[in-house]
Formats: sequence, C-alpha cells, structure tokens
Amino acid sequence: MKKQILSLTVNGEEVERAVLPYATLLEFLREDLGLTGVKEGCGEGACGACTVLVNNVPVRSCITPALEVDGCSVVTVEGLATAEGLHPVQQAFVERGAIQCGFCTPGMILSAKSLLDRNPQPTDEEIKTALAGNFCRCTGYAKILEAVRTAASGQG
Amino acid sequence: MSEKGFTYIGKSVPRVDSHAKATGEAVFTADLQLPRMLVAKVLRSPYPHARILNIDTTRAKALKGVHAVVTGRDTAGEKWGVFRYTRDQQLLCVDKVRYVGDEVAAVAAVDEETAMEALRLIQVEYEELPAVFDCHSALEPDAPRIHEEFPRNINVAVKIDVGDVESAFKQCALVREDTFVAEEDSYFMTEPYAVVANSHADGSVEVWMPNASPHTKAKALSNALRLPLSKVNVRKVTIGGAFGGRSDVFPAEFITCLLSVRCGRPVKLVYTREENTIATRMGHAMITTIKTGVDKEGRVLARDIVSYLDGGAYSSTGPIATSVPFLCHEQTYRMDNVRFHGYRVYTNKPVRGMIRIHGRSFACGIDTQLDMIAEELGIDPVTIRLRNARRPGESTPTGSYVASCGLVECIEKTAERSDFLKKYSERKPNCGIGMGLNSVQTGFPLGIRGGSQAFVKFHEDGGATVISGVVDNGQGNDNMLVQIAAEELGLPMEDIRLVSADTEVTPTDAGSYSMISTFGGGNAVKRAAADARAQIFEVASEMLEADPDDLVAKNRKIFVRGAPASAIPLEKVVRKALLMGRPIMGRGSFNPDVDQRREWITNPRGQLSQAFSFGATVTEVEVDPETGMVKARKVTCAQDCGFALNPMVVEGQFEGGVAMGGQGGMLGEEHRWHKGHVLNPSLLEYKIPAITDMPEIEPIIVETIDPGGPYGAKEAGMSIAMSAAQAYANAVGNALGVYFNHFPLTPERILAGIENKKPGIRTVFDFEPARVLEVEPRKP
Repeated sequence: MKKQILSLTVNGEEVERAVLPYATLLEFLREDLGLTGVKEGCGEGACGACTVLVNNVPVRSCITPALEVDGCSVVTVEGLATAEGLHPVQQAFVERGAIQCGFCTPGMILSAKSLLDRNPQPTDEEIKTALAGNFCRCTGYAKILEAVRTAASGQG
Repeated sequence: MSEKGFTYIGKSVPRVDSHAKATGEAVFTADLQLPRMLVAKVLRSPYPHARILNIDTTRAKALKGVHAVVTGRDTAGEKWGVFRYTRDQQLLCVDKVRYVGDEVAAVAAVDEETAMEALRLIQVEYEELPAVFDCHSALEPDAPRIHEEFPRNINVAVKIDVGDVESAFKQCALVREDTFVAEEDSYFMTEPYAVVANSHADGSVEVWMPNASPHTKAKALSNALRLPLSKVNVRKVTIGGAFGGRSDVFPAEFITCLLSVRCGRPVKLVYTREENTIATRMGHAMITTIKTGVDKEGRVLARDIVSYLDGGAYSSTGPIATSVPFLCHEQTYRMDNVRFHGYRVYTNKPVRGMIRIHGRSFACGIDTQLDMIAEELGIDPVTIRLRNARRPGESTPTGSYVASCGLVECIEKTAERSDFLKKYSERKPNCGIGMGLNSVQTGFPLGIRGGSQAFVKFHEDGGATVISGVVDNGQGNDNMLVQIAAEELGLPMEDIRLVSADTEVTPTDAGSYSMISTFGGGNAVKRAAADARAQIFEVASEMLEADPDDLVAKNRKIFVRGAPASAIPLEKVVRKALLMGRPIMGRGSFNPDVDQRREWITNPRGQLSQAFSFGATVTEVEVDPETGMVKARKVTCAQDCGFALNPMVVEGQFEGGVAMGGQGGMLGEEHRWHKGHVLNPSLLEYKIPAITDMPEIEPIIVETIDPGGPYGAKEAGMSIAMSAAQAYANAVGNALGVYFNHFPLTPERILAGIENKKPGIRTVFDFEPARVLEVEPRKP
C-alpha cells in the first residue's frame, strides 16, 4: 500500500513524514519518531497506556489512525517537562509515590494534565472520571488520586 | 533526622526511578531498538491436546524478508522445569501440544507483517487427542494422560502431617467440613511480555526481558541453548509489573535467543495482550476441602485440608505453588494438629504459576469457615481470630521459628479503626463487614541462588555506585537499595548510582519472587555499604588522627563524633585512599538463615524462611440485591512489615494489594473457558479494577523490628493482598447473611447466594469435595 504524507505538530515541533494508511498513531510515534514514552498495553483501546493528547484531548493512540491527526497538535509524555523542570503533574506523581512500575504512568499523567487544563480545581469524582480509562495494576490508585489533587492545589 | 536516629531510611522519599518513569525516559523491553533488529512471531497450537505429525516450513522459509524459521526439531530437546524432577516443558513442542497456545514454531523477519505472513505459511499436521479441562475429570482413571510419566495427571503431591489429627478431632467441641472453589485469575501486569536477544560473534548472547530473577533466566537459557552460563548475559531493563507472573522461564526468551543465534542479528519478540495472558502464566483454579475442629472457645485443635490445584499443561513452580497456600495459613494460625494433602493436577489449559493472591480458595476458605464456626459458637470474628492468631516466639507446625510477629496488633488496629464490632453487630441490610488474616514468607531455601551479594564502589568525586543482583519489577527495589546505601554511607541518595540485575556484572541474588528482595538484597547492600564505610573510616582515621570507631559519616563528610566542625569531605578521603593504593571497594553478602535440607515434597519441615510478614484487612461493602453488584466502601489494612524503610512505598504496596487481591481478585477477576480456549484473554473482557471502582483505603503500618531484617524490615504488602481477598469474601457474605464458597464473587454468584439462601450455617454452593488420592510412584 502506498504511503501518504502526514503533517502535524508533535511536542511543539513541526513534523512531516510519509506513513502507511493503516499505521496507528502509536506506531507512528513510537517507531517513526522514537517517542517510546507512548506505551502499548493492549492494542485495542482498553487500557489507556497509549494515551496521548491530540489538541489537548486524551486519545488512545493504539486505535487512532495516524493520518486522522493530520494538522493536529500532539503531545506525548516526552513533551511535558521543560528546561525549568518537570510539569507540575509529573512532579506530583514523583513526590506522592504515584509511580510504581511506571508503564501506565505516561498515559495517566497525560489524562491528568488534560483534566487540569480544562478544570483546574476538580473534585475527587471528577479526577476519577477523567482517569477511569487508564488502568494501573500496581498502585490501587490511591497515590495517583493524591498526586492529581496535589497538582491541582499547586503544591506539587 | 527521624525519631529513630536515621537520616534517609524510615522516610517517605520519592523513589529514585520515578523521575525517568514520569518523563518517558525509562526504557522497557519493547522500547529497545537495536541496529538490524528483526521481528519475531510465534505459531501456537490451535488444539488443547494433539500429537504433532509433521511441520512443513518450506514455504515460510522461502518468503522474502524471512530470516529464520525454527521448530522443536531445531532445539536440543531440553525441557524446562523449576526443579530437576519437574522438567516437563519443551520450549518448542517436539511431539505433542498440550494447551491452546503451546509454542509450535517461530519466525524472525524484517517486519511484523512479513513475520505474520510467514506464520500463515507454516503447515502443521496434528492428530487431535482427547483433552481434560478440570481437576476432577483429569483425575478420572480413564482420563487422557497429558504427560506419559504422570499417572492420573497428578503432577505434584504434597503431604504434610503434624501432630495427631484424628485423635485431636475426637477432643473437639465442634467439627465442620466445607469445600471452597476458586476459578483462574490472571496477572494483567500493564506491560505485555517482550524479549530482545542479541547474539554476538564471540558466542555470547545478551537478553532483555521483564523478569523476577535475571540469574534464574540466564541459567535456564544456558541449559536450553547449550551455552556456557557466563555467555548468557541478561541485562537490566525497566519492568512493567510482575505479581508472580515473571518468576518463571518461558519459551519466549528461548525462542528469541535461538532466532538471534540463527540469524546473527538482534531479534525482538513482543507479546500481544492475549499472548501475555495465555502463554506466560495465569493463576491456578483450586478446590479446597477444609475440615476444622475447635474447642468451645473456638480455638482450632485440628485441621485436615485437601486441595486440588488445576496446574494447566506444565509444572512451572508446581511443588512451591502446591505448598504455599498451606504454608501461609500455618504461619497465620496456631495449630498443633494439622494435615494437608495438596495435588497439582495437569489439565489441557495454559500453564499456572504463583500469583499475588495465589490460593484464593484456600485462604478465603479458611477465613470464611472461621466465621461460620464463630457464628455457631456465638463468638465474634475478631475474638476468634485473636484466639487463634500466631504470636512471636512460636514455631509453625512444620517447624519455622517466628522471631517477629505483629499479627495481634494488626487485628486490634484494623478492628478498632474500622469500628468492626459495632458495625458487625448492627447488621444494616445489604451492608457487610469482614476480616481476613494472612502471612507470607521472605524467601525460601533456594540453594546456591538463595542469598544475595553486593558491592559498593566509590568515584573520585565522593559519589558511590551500588552493584547488586536485585531486580525491580516496579515495587521499588532499586530505591530500597539506594536508600539503605545512603543511610550506611551518610551520602545523599542523589550521590548514589545503582547498577543492578545484569548477570554479567552484578553478583547473584535470589530474585524478587518470594518477597526476599528487602530481606536478602537489602541486607547484602547494607553490609557492602558498611564495609565501604569501614574502609573510609580506616583512611579517614589517619587523616583526622582519631580512632575509626569514633568516626561518623554524614552528608558527604567524615568527622569525629561530637566534632562536626572539623569534618573532612568524603571526596578527600576517597582520593587519599586511591593515592595510598587502597581504593574503597565495599563487599557484602547475606544468606538467610533457613534450613537448606527442607524440600517441598520429600522433606517439608525445618526453617522455611528467616522472617514472615503478617497482615489483617477489614473490608466494608454494600451489596445491591437486585443486580448482585458490590460497592466496597472502605478498606482498613494493617501489616507487620518489620520496619518501613519508606512508608510511602509501603503504603503503595498495601493499596495495590487491596486493588488486586480484594477489589479485583474477589469481585470479578476470573477466566472463562470453552474447550480449553480462554474466552477473555484481553482487557476488554477481563475486568481489572479502575480508579472509579476503588474504595477509600486506610493503610496502617505495624513495625516489629525483625532481628534479621535490614533495620528490622521484612516485606511490604503481600500479607495485605492475601488478607484483602479474605476480607472482601467475608464482607460480602456478611452483607447477605450467607457464606460464599465459590470465588470470585461475581454478580451471578451473589444473586445465586441470595436466591439459594437456606437455613442454618452452611455454604451457598454444594461442591464435590477434594479427597485424599492414592498416588502411584512415578516411573523413572
């Protein structure tokens, strides 16, 4: 099958690549751009490990065709920290012990960031709803909830 | 400095590995990209039981882009088994397949599409054989035999008999027998299994994969590949969870290495989520019949237990898996007279290993039956547990001395904080409260690989590198090692680097299964760091003109106790040592004090483990009688972890244990089957808890300062995962006024419990009990 041109912004940089029409956004980010912070946990949109932000909306990159995000702005976990340091959500996850094995962490952090961008002072229920599509098998979610609360209160 | 006088340990500090995991920098196996790397795929059996008549790989080999195709004929025919006497699994099937998913052939190709196409071109001729899918059928005298040398499909038979059980039953005020059944559960660690192998011209091979013991993987690979052990180099990589499911050796790593050796190129094999479920390990299904006799105060005088474990197609950790549910129980509860018959039975299903709440039917059965006995005697669940709970200074029935034990404190604290007795007596409709107790080991007798060693080297700038064989599956072992070294060396954690879990570089370690990492690896690093510190003090004593015994290492400085003003920088001491030709190289090792004569089947007595953790969990639930759905409201859990080296990490282990053991493990996690096919191998159908499912959790850390543990530490969290399952089971039963004996408690089973409610103190379902079997001696 013939490749097609995909133009988009990834972590603030303009990118143009030829991709196969059936390539997923996950494959494009991991294999073509080397952004392996995007994790594949199930390949069918169930676990949320592959979450990236497309125009600041959390999207499951494993079931999103790469060409569908043509012209969009994509943010992966690699795009959050700056020269000044970690993003407040990342900082809160580190400090509150919200990270164990770390495989779900990139997706979880991006879902949390997107929530706080839309709703800077969420209730616990709102945090839970926003993270309901991101599975974590290690933490029991208690410290993750705490971390998002911390990031929201600006104490991260 | 904390109240106990420690600077770095005992504090909730962020883990050393968390920064890289928060930024996406941490590299997991599937993230590895090597030059010229090929992609591997595995062809699996579509039948639960069949003879392989012929495999034709001609067309697959001819496909453009295919670099190698391997089958059982390309192997040395070595079989894998954890023990010499359980070696029953060909890492690529030669003559027979024994479950749907058994490895038949594999290819290495330039990309995934080509590899998939090559699999399609491999032609396998099978002769289908009759298959068995549950313990009772597999044990029938005329059942198809899955392994020729194992009559009645009995893979492992464990017998433990302590005291005089029959006489003791005669003294009992009350005796009851109940049967408990649990279905298969799965790990669903977030990272699917993956392997990268890179063979080199010098005959060595490097391997990366999620693992719970790099040294065990290397040994098995060296046997199967017929390579010297020193040429199999298992490398460190970030690991996305284990929960017991990475402890064993799988065909995947053997196949990937074999393909890499064949092609002379690096090869990557990444399992799909479905393959991770079917072709690594899953939990055992289990039937347990428990006969318990008590005196009129509810003290257990005698117990007789028979368990059948559905082991699937191969042995895996068979003898250990068969014994551990009993051993956890004998650690938790006092008994003078007890008998256990455990049988692990082969079936034509995927291979079963140890999982975080291994033996659900056993542990939940024991605690459910204890509640039934309490009700018959008019005693509350807390009192009957306090009367039977293990105390420190006692020995288990099979002869393990328990040096430290805070079980009574765990029971008392969880009962008090949850207001257990008040809620239990109030009995609000459809609301329930339940308690579970458990205990786990910190390691087993594992021969030459049972201990741990470590080195500490210093850099010219005064920074240090810790070198240890301990592996981190996500629980925080890397951080544990660094935190301990920091304390011993008086160095901030950021000055300490860690090199670990690399078999070429790091010394032997027991592996992270059996909860020994802190006790074994932590002690070894503590000793290595103390040795390095002694060497530093030796040099510094000359510089400070003081006795080494009077020196203190703190915050990158060495000074005479009481005179921090005249401190010299550690860096200066390190450089002086180099100049003197006495470089600082700390060395430490730790071998747990266990009875190496103890053997799982032939000699199940003696010191099993040097220390044991103990835990109690209380769960409060509300059940919707219309739908059978359970809402867990609150979980209060306490564990005696010895000493909390990092309370935040310990709490995280408790909370994770509640999620996997109680919330998921007891309320819904189970595999469904059709003729040996798993119907729910993926996360769409197999529901693990989401954040919205979780109750509020109150973790309570109990510290008993074990005399053998590093600073008194034992292990963090496993007693909670186990006891949480028991607490959930009892809470749901309590809400409905019934006693469940079929786990997990799915809505269907809960509705059946409501509909079938019968008078009297009895279990909801009637099951055929597990009975003692005549075991024929195995043919050699």
